[in-house]
Amino acid sequence: MKHYTKLGSTLIFGLGMTALLFTGSTRAADTQTQPEVKKAPATRPLKLGGQGIEQERNFPKITSGKWTGPRLADGQPDVQGHWSNTVANHNNFTDPQGGILNDPNPNRIPKGPREERAPSRVSDPADGQVPFQPWALEKVKEFRAGFHNPTKPEYIEPLARCAPGGIPKSLFWHGYEISQYPGYVLFQFNSGTRIIHLDGKPHLPENIKLWNGDSRGHWEGNTLVVDVGNHNGKALFGRSGEFISENGKIQERYIFSNDGDRYTYEALLTDPTVYTRPFTVTVPARKWTAKDEPNGWHFEVEPATHSGKEIILDQYERICTENNGGFGLVAAEAPAPTPAAATTPAPAK
Amino acid sequence: MKTAQTQYAHQRPAIICLVGITLVWLLSAGNTFAAGTKIPRLNGKPDFSGIWQTTSAADYDLEPHSNRKDAPPGAGIVEGNFIPYLPSALEQKKKNFEARATLDPALKGYTLGVPRGIYYPEPFQIFQRKQDLTLVHQFGHSVRTIHTDGTDHPKDPYDWWLGDSRAKWEGDTLVVDIKHFNDKTWLDGAGNYHSDALHVIEKWSFIDPNTLEYQATIDDPKVYSRPWNLSVILYRHREKDFQLIEDYRFTLDYDQYYPPKPNKQ
Repeated sequence: MKHYTKLGSTLIFGLGMTALLFTGSTRAADTQTQPEVKKAPATRPLKLGGQGIEQERNFPKITSGKWTGPRLADGQPDVQGHWSNTVANHNNFTDPQGGILNDPNPNRIPKGPREERAPSRVSDPADGQVPFQPWALEKVKEFRAGFHNPTKPEYIEPLARCAPGGIPKSLFWHGYEISQYPGYVLFQFNSGTRIIHLDGKPHLPENIKLWNGDSRGHWEGNTLVVDVGNHNGKALFGRSGEFISENGKIQERYIFSNDGDRYTYEALLTDPTVYTRPFTVTVPARKWTAKDEPNGWHFEVEPATHSGKEIILDQYERICTENNGGFGLVAAEAPAPTPAAATTPAPAK
Repeated sequence: MKTAQTQYAHQRPAIICLVGITLVWLLSAGNTFAAGTKIPRLNGKPDFSGIWQTTSAADYDLEPHSNRKDAPPGAGIVEGNFIPYLPSALEQKKKNFEARATLDPALKGYTLGVPRGIYYPEPFQIFQRKQDLTLVHQFGHSVRTIHTDGTDHPKDPYDWWLGDSRAKWEGDTLVVDIKHFNDKTWLDGAGNYHSDALHVIEKWSFIDPNTLEYQATIDDPKVYSRPWNLSVILYRHREKDFQLIEDYRFTLDYDQYYPPKPNKQ
């Protein structure tokens, strides 16, 4: 019987994958020192459904319209299954394939021009930047400066402490599973669980604040429209430190393609205490099925034990904090976490 | 002026008679209950979808106990009252009890495990499909999937906080076989515990459309001298607009540091 945790193995795999991802750019750097090689390949090839976290640099935009695909007994479009973003993890919100800002390791800084990487997740305004008020931008810069050697608890990205990924970060943090029930859409993320209520009940009282907020949704054709209230604003959007506050509202649109292969996530974030104007976040996602190879980050499944011929996939429990005493890998004998300890954040989770 | 009591006094024999008839009907219903009372169904099987919670004091202590500073009294939910610990394990349980204020994993916000999550005093929601039941516990929003798709335990398992749950239907009872646990959870707040050899068999069935009987057989040859049983009753939450509210308690120690706030002028 294996005694390390599933998460531990995922992390080991994740670290390995990170090393693989950076092999390309390291080689590129090496070749630049050799005169006989005129030009290093600017970008490494990416493959949708392949290994690694980065799966593509460009993606189609899916528009809202009719749903012609399969439906569940209660009439909802059937979008159940394993999903994941196609572009990158939470290293960098506005330059998703640009590595962690201020990374002290030169091999992890991308070498090519910005246009060769996936676009900003901020799709409006056109400059791809979050329209922060000056005070908030200062705080984001402070976080970025403090991130690699945190001297204050607030410089630790809360996901490194196993806090729920929150919105919108959960949509670009590991693969996740969507399942549907009469009146509900359920998201099982790698870190956190989200229940979308479709029955139109009112939001929770405003003073209740939650990592994943309180979600009310309904279907408009191929689009799941979700209104998120009660957001606690604590989750940050990634290692680049962008944030919304507890005063913020998020309106989400999950726009599914009728072939069931993809969806486009669009979220309008409004917070007059942090931003100068509302802005839009766009995240591309694709479905992973039994036809795909398991992927240690996007599609963490194992074949189930059964006598039939069809492939049934198990996804094992997603439990983080209890395993994370020493960043996941030395869970077994880890002491209870101490509050506010400015521990070193995860190097590559 | 007549009081309500005197007004209905003459009807008493009739009421008593009616109650009597109902009782006889209920008692005789017995095995025909399922046919006589409509329980919710999905694909012909009982549909346990809903938000459930026990009213018992089980989580404070599975065994009979008087009141104490950190627990109300309770008659316990263990069949035969006491857990049949092996002698050395009983010593460990006593140590756990003495140190419960610091060692209880629930106080750290950790995943409660099986069966503790079922009778912990917070609601959990069952989402049911033909192929599985997904249990979302309000506490930690931790998720257990009970597979009802004919699959068996993994051949190369890990040790999980919530074990690996494979189930089958026996009539209107869902029988769940759960194993491959780690040894990090407790069974209650009183230090009752298990090892990684824990094996749980759950039986879920309707008593009526809004009430479930939950039975569990607990086996662990490293800790107990024989398998033992517990049972609780689970009630459906029927309050208007009732819903689970995230309880990620383990974040409370650091959530004051987020999000950034404007500097004080």
